[in-house]
Amino acid sequence: MKKKPTLGIYGFTGCAGCQLSLLDCEDELIDLFSAADIKVFYEAMSNNDDEALVDIALVEGSINTNKQLDELKEIREKAKVLVAFGSCANHGCVQAMALGDGKWEQRFKQVYGDAKFTVAIPREAQPIHKFVKVDAFIPGCPPSKIQMLRAITQLLFGNKPTYTNSPVCLECKFRENECLLNDGKLCLGPLTMGGCTAPCPTHNTPCIGCWGIIEEANHIAELKLLKEKGFKTEEIIRRFRMFGGSEIVEKIEKLLEVAK
Amino acid sequence: MKYEYKKGPELYTPIMMRIISKRDLTPDVRFFQIVPKEEFKHLDLDYKPGQFMMLSLFGSGEAPFSISSSPTRKGIFEFAIRKTGKITNKIFELKDGDQLGLRGPFGNGFPIEKMLGKDIVIVAGGLGAAPLRSLLLYILDNRELFGRLIYLYGAKNPQEMLYRPDFFEMLESDQLELYLTVDKGNEGFEDKIEEGMVTHLFKYVNDIDPKNTIACVCGPPVMYKFVVNEILKYNLEKHNILVNLERRMKCGTGKCGHCIIDYRYTCIDGPVFTYWDVIHMRELI
Amino acid sequence: MRVLKLSKKDENKLYDVLIKFGEVWAPVPKGSRYVFDKIEKKEDLIMYNEFIRTILPIKKFLMPQELNILNFKPSKYEKPKVDIPTRVIVGVPPCEIHALNILDKFYTTDFVDNYYMERREKVIIIGKSSLPDEYLFSHKTNTSIVEEGYDLFFIDLGDYYLVWVGSEKGDDIVRLGSDIFSEDVPVDVAKDFVAYREKRRKAFTKDIDLEGVTDLMELMYDADFWDEFGEKCLSCGQCTMVCPTCTCFNVIDEIELNKDEGHRRRYWDSCMFKDYSLVAGQHNFRESRAERLKLWYTHKLKAFIGHFGSPSCVGCGRCIITCPVDINVETVVEKLKG
Ligand SMILES: Cc1cc2nc3c(=O)[nH]c(=O)nc-3n(C[C@H](O)[C@H](O)[C@H](O)COP(=O)(O)OP(=O)(O)OC[C@H]3O[C@@H](n4cnc5c(N)ncnc54)[C@H](O)[C@@H]3O)c2cc1C
Ligand code: SF4
Ligand code: SF4
Ligand code: SF4
Ligand code: SF4
Ligand code: SF4
Ligand code: FES
Repeated sequence: MKKKPTLGIYGFTGCAGCQLSLLDCEDELIDLFSAADIKVFYEAMSNNDDEALVDIALVEGSINTNKQLDELKEIREKAKVLVAFGSCANHGCVQAMALGDGKWEQRFKQVYGDAKFTVAIPREAQPIHKFVKVDAFIPGCPPSKIQMLRAITQLLFGNKPTYTNSPVCLECKFRENECLLNDGKLCLGPLTMGGCTAPCPTHNTPCIGCWGIIEEANHIAELKLLKEKGFKTEEIIRRFRMFGGSEIVEKIEKLLEVAK
Repeated sequence: MKYEYKKGPELYTPIMMRIISKRDLTPDVRFFQIVPKEEFKHLDLDYKPGQFMMLSLFGSGEAPFSISSSPTRKGIFEFAIRKTGKITNKIFELKDGDQLGLRGPFGNGFPIEKMLGKDIVIVAGGLGAAPLRSLLLYILDNRELFGRLIYLYGAKNPQEMLYRPDFFEMLESDQLELYLTVDKGNEGFEDKIEEGMVTHLFKYVNDIDPKNTIACVCGPPVMYKFVVNEILKYNLEKHNILVNLERRMKCGTGKCGHCIIDYRYTCIDGPVFTYWDVIHMRELI
Repeated sequence: MRVLKLSKKDENKLYDVLIKFGEVWAPVPKGSRYVFDKIEKKEDLIMYNEFIRTILPIKKFLMPQELNILNFKPSKYEKPKVDIPTRVIVGVPPCEIHALNILDKFYTTDFVDNYYMERREKVIIIGKSSLPDEYLFSHKTNTSIVEEGYDLFFIDLGDYYLVWVGSEKGDDIVRLGSDIFSEDVPVDVAKDFVAYREKRRKAFTKDIDLEGVTDLMELMYDADFWDEFGEKCLSCGQCTMVCPTCTCFNVIDEIELNKDEGHRRRYWDSCMFKDYSLVAGQHNFRESRAERLKLWYTHKLKAFIGHFGSPSCVGCGRCIITCPVDINVETVVEKLKG
């Protein structure tokens, strides 16, 4: 019998929803526990081996303190394959929505005043790829059951999970929805990585982009379109930023220029 | 009724093959010999040089690979595979005796009938030597059926040269006029390998009879324009310049669309195209 | 060709006849549009007069959005055995029947695609003519009138439908429904029919002049407007999903967790997506959106002529309705014509 691959599941700042959605896969969870030798999984186990070297590390959450940063670096040392698990780890998620606006310290003071932190010194939320090499990723906020299990299966099999480079619109059309953009709604489907099976537009609610930005996203075209439809620049940019994480930061300047 | 619903053969179900041997050709290209597993022995898979097969690997997917062996040496299928991604990484983990799926052959292959009796100029770049090996072996095995055989091969460096020992041996042969070159670093092989782009080997291609010569080219996408320009200087007829192209492929049967160029499918109307096609179809090279 | 009559007062009995042949599918409203949906109750089978097109064309029955094509184990690939239900699709518009004829040719040329065939032989096409809306331009693509490709075809002439029988299967249906399909078709219906034809012909308003576009595609290949469209395009792929003659698919292998088995699946794909022409070594034959748009329109307005003698656009108008940024056959042809 081949040795089972070892797996660690680690969480930083986020809602822990990614780990929970994994726990939610009741039937498949048993399969996961028998397919992999799980060393760390705080949400599910009591006997965690923090020091263990692992073949695969699934890292959930963004990095919000210096202590987390140190821990992340340790995980990187211990893991053969490090996987950014969910939108927080991948893009920073909602807690990074104001990333790079230069006002983080100001906001922080508003919330915490002059409080002194000694153990975990806070810092602006960042996705993990800003600090360590990320070998693979699983998108979603939280990841969809099917996509996540397929990705983990591929990882355990020794493959990097690959995704089709297609936006939410693909699955939205699979489900034969009318396009909300044509209905004057602010849908971010074309800018957003697919894989969620488009639950939101299927329920007549615009996509807010929680799967993260797709490589081919044409923000400028969507901005122009939404402005034509009567949306205000601030509103559009705010939506772009919500799950735009660190990627959108690079585009903001150009977008604001176009908006004028 | 206008329409009859005739089903065809099951084109998408691979048959199982077994690896019987493998060796490294370059640091990232490996040579595999595979044969059908017992239960598929009865299938007589004939093919033409220049055709390709779809190889399937459990759990990782399917991808097209040119057949590197010659139909004149039956029973064993040979491939030269470069490690570049998901499927090919896994193929490199395979050991002798391991299984993989195969379907095909697909594509038009080289127009052998048209090439009989002609002088043949083959120009290979990098991994292009894989499909062209099929043609080369075919011609060598039927040497009397063809005229002159000129073979030019360019690689990045001597380590990247596919089938190097075989080519070195052939340098001694009087069956073909063979010239090798590398972009850089021929130290240690100066007597066998030149330095410079493959186009620079055309200085050895002389006394070409334009009416009686067919040129076959295969290499990385950037290579075609330069090589074809050289060949055109010999006034070859446009339909006698053949290029073997690569495109993304998901079916091999003209259905998935990925290999489409204008109105032609690389997997059916190609991968071997003529220079006439090239000037008539944008996007070809 | 046999033509029968179905009186409107017998329309409610149609379902009982059709259900004997298989599942009944027909257009049902969804938002401001329609979708082909399974009809479970006889009163739900409604021949909407204003129905012109569904969001997704009938290709979804023949090459579904997602399709498991193989089951595999490490030592075996096997085609899954599936029971494909017979489906009677009611209300198929003429342009879609033309699209079906194109798909038939496409899936049988060079190689026969059995997955398509297995589904194709299980659909019964009941076409229906209707008056065009402001998007339909099948009169310009010669696809507004059907001669073949249907089993039955309905034309609404007020109190009754004229029903054309186009195949043996269609004939079976009218035989079984002999109490509602009447052979008694007096010559004076011809007047009604001619009047309807004339009314319908005049009702087409969308004017897209496709003459010469094949050559223009060639001549305008390097025109600037392609880049302008490329800048506007969202790469959402909707245009290709909704087009009745777009057939491209992707193939993906998936393995089951902790089991030595897996599935190979086909998914609809779009040439508007970046990876469409990507090959090993990250070389992309169509890196820019403009290049990909050129492929799409080459394919719709030009390439099929080489293969099948007519362009593959059947004038259904879906791309015009669907593309959020108005890149569609109409706007492209406008630019081609300068
Ligand atoms: C006609 C033809 C002949 C070929 N012959 C050879 C050969 O003899 N030796 C060799 O090493 N390579 C050959 N290739 C290229 C080979 O198919 C790719 O290297 C291979 O698909 C890469 O797969 P991957 O999963 O390892 O890479 P990844 O980059 O991980 O590919 C992921 C997916 O992209 C698709 N893909 C990527 N590149 C290509 C491509 N070039 N063509 C089609 N699909 C692609 C695959 O379907 C795969 O599922 C040939 C390609 C074609 C079209
Ligand atoms: S509704 Fe949104 S996700 Fe769906 S097709 Fe339109 S833009 Fe894309
Ligand atoms: S449709 Fe958009 S918002 Fe909804 S789950 Fe998918 S990516 Fe997230
Ligand atoms: S290549 Fe594009 S336009 Fe042509 S069938 Fe495929 S998706 Fe449609
Ligand atoms: S190109 Fe547009 S109008 Fe023509 S068939 Fe396709 S979707 Fe319909
Ligand atoms: S042309 Fe329109 S529908 Fe098609 S991908 Fe571009 S934006 Fe989407
Ligand atoms: S490989 Fe699918 S159409 Fe050519």
